[in-house]
Amino acid sequence: MIDKYRQAFDEEARELLTGLESALLELDEKRDDGEVLGRAFRALHTIKGSGAMFGFDQIAGFAHNLEAVFDRLRGGQLSATSDLIALSLAAGDQIKFMLDEAAGNGAADPARTAGIVAELHRLTGMAEPAAAAAPPSPAASGSTAGPAADWRIRFRPGPDVLLNGTNPLLLIRELRQLGELGVTVDTAALPPLSQLDAERCYLAWDMVLRTAAGREAIRDVFIFVEDDCQLSIEPLAAQPAEPDATAGPAAKPNTAEARAAAAAASSIRVSADKLDQLVNLVGELVAVQARLGETALRRDDPEILEISEAVERLTCALRENSMSIRMLPLRPTFERFRRLVHDLSVELHKEVELSIEGADTELDKTVIDQLNDPLVHLIRNSMDHGIETPDARRRAGKPPVGTIHLSAQHSGANVLIRVSDDGRGLDAEAVRARAVEKGLIAGSAPLSESEVLALILAPGFSTARQVTGVSGRGVGMDVVERSIEALRGSLEMASRPGAGLTVTLRLPLTLAIIDGLLVRVGEAYFVLPLANSLECVELTREDIRDAHGKHIANVRGDLVPYIRLAEYFGIQRAPPEREQIMVVETDHGHYGFVVDQVIGDHQTVIKSLGRLYRNVQLVSGATILGDGTVALILDPHRLVQNAIQTVGQASACRTISNRHFRSFKKENRIDGTQVKP
Amino acid sequence: MSKIILTVDDSASVRQMVKFTLSDAGYTVVEAIDGQDALAKLASPVNLVITDLNMPNLDGIGLIRGVRANAALKGIPILMLTTESQESRKREGKAAGATGWIVKPFTPQQILAVVKRVLG
Repeated sequence: MIDKYRQAFDEEARELLTGLESALLELDEKRDDGEVLGRAFRALHTIKGSGAMFGFDQIAGFAHNLEAVFDRLRGGQLSATSDLIALSLAAGDQIKFMLDEAAGNGAADPARTAGIVAELHRLTGMAEPAAAAAPPSPAASGSTAGPAADWRIRFRPGPDVLLNGTNPLLLIRELRQLGELGVTVDTAALPPLSQLDAERCYLAWDMVLRTAAGREAIRDVFIFVEDDCQLSIEPLAAQPAEPDATAGPAAKPNTAEARAAAAAASSIRVSADKLDQLVNLVGELVAVQARLGETALRRDDPEILEISEAVERLTCALRENSMSIRMLPLRPTFERFRRLVHDLSVELHKEVELSIEGADTELDKTVIDQLNDPLVHLIRNSMDHGIETPDARRRAGKPPVGTIHLSAQHSGANVLIRVSDDGRGLDAEAVRARAVEKGLIAGSAPLSESEVLALILAPGFSTARQVTGVSGRGVGMDVVERSIEALRGSLEMASRPGAGLTVTLRLPLTLAIIDGLLVRVGEAYFVLPLANSLECVELTREDIRDAHGKHIANVRGDLVPYIRLAEYFGIQRAPPEREQIMVVETDHGHYGFVVDQVIGDHQTVIKSLGRLYRNVQLVSGATILGDGTVALILDPHRLVQNAIQTVGQASACRTISNRHFRSFKKENRIDGTQVKP
Repeated sequence: MSKIILTVDDSASVRQMVKFTLSDAGYTVVEAIDGQDALAKLASPVNLVITDLNMPNLDGIGLIRGVRANAALKGIPILMLTTESQESRKREGKAAGATGWIVKPFTPQQILAVVKRVLG
């Protein structure tokens, strides 16, 4: 096959030599003519190139020397002398002899060839050019066979490769021919459609290739684009033969050990302090974001608004994320009590079973940490005071084995944890006797159910007949209540005499941040927890008039009692034409809070009010608004409870004197609502 | 439809070798004797240009620039034939917009491998 090319080369080379000759003769007359020099150069270049291609290595090597000289002549680094031209003519003749020799006619004198080359170097002062040792041309460097290894190849072509005719897909296909290839495309650099230039390349590829071919063979695929792209080829698996393999960033996790390490990496232990710091920072960020949002809204600049909304989205996600990091299921806490119940059963000679429900409910770690002691206390109480001995239970017609039920459930932004037992419930008489004994009440005073419960929460109160190893040492329910309140939670008790007692702890999901609704009353701002807020309706003057002085609004047929915050907090201001009622869900049903204006959503970092205001129960904290104003965070449950108690006292008074009630109301600036029948 | 390759070289022997090799592999080969000839022949559809660098009238670099300046020929792959002594010319060609290169001397297998790489 090569032979037919050799013939073609022979003919062409002779033609070129004739051309070279005439160019050289012309050059003798006009020494620096670029066009003539170019012709001579090209002739020699082609002889060299084609000669090498068709196996005329001697001719190619010889022509190469001449070509180098003419390249410099052409470039002006050398000037043509008559000696040089004469020598070139002789060289041309020598090439002819070599062609003859190759064709089988006579022999070219190698000494003469060498002599011409030496003379050429003497005349031009050029050293023998480095032998054109043909380095492997792209496709030539085939795969160097070796054991199959994994390579990570990251390939990010320059933006213009498509314009230059490169099709990255073909390169990937070529890689695939080298071995098993896994390809992931990275579209991160892809701009929005409106900015997309279809002729630019925005994609990058991350590939894992399992091949027996070496690094060079892989690199070779990219040889044309090497300069216009970011390319990294790194071995994945450790190969002792490859010195840089050990420096590879990641060993392929294919061994059991590596898998175990990966599993360990999927969850890490972080000190709680760091989490607290994170949450604090997120809290600050939320506050700043709120300021940004308000500023953006005020400026009414669409660009800033857009940024602010993006920041809000991110902050919100970040907040939820960092909160969720702190969230832990209650299960470990709950499960610990099984042992407690078991040990106490033995000690108290009672048979008790613990049933657990909703243990997967998650709570903020801080809350969980502080929940253990109160729960231990409640369970001890139930075991000691609540559940009877097996004999007593049989007498009461109950199964001899008592039950304590521990449950957790979500309720808005709160978690409800219940400890209920099927024991005897609160013994009102025992409470009463104990209270008299302690001098808390007069012996004859009648006690309502709520008063009995209130007594239990009095400091140092215990109904246990004797100090047992379990309870009754004067550390009572008041301690439990205080620790729950420290968590911004609340405690409720419901006693079913003879049938058991249920204690419900209402705890906030988290302590640091709440989603709230910002409202305004006069000049004052308040935040209501969003989780409790149901809806917002208008309250017009007509509505007030139609209600005949009662603080009850008609919300789509439902009667909702409401509290006027302005009156409640004694805020002096001219009431607006239309007020708003925020309908809030509380433990006591739906209640309305009348405000001047509902401003909107407000992510709120809860700042405590400080020790001076520790006893202010209606307010769960404060937050700082965008403009620096302080807004109080209201606790709707407490507000309503407080109002009901006040009205309850008031209604008790009303039986004595209705007028007295009115003055009481006025003095206290309280406008309670629910009128108990 | 077989892909059309334009081989541009002032050396008839090189053109012939390219033509034989690629025709055998199923490509259609069109010949041009220099850059100007090539630009004229690019009026009809061509899938790949293989060009020498040193040619009279319009050399390889000029041809590459001409092709890249022509919106109708956008993205067409161009291979240049270079020798190892022409490192600077190779860079010049790359800068002008060549897709790749084939180092002379080359064998039919080599040229086929490179053509496959850029043409698929």
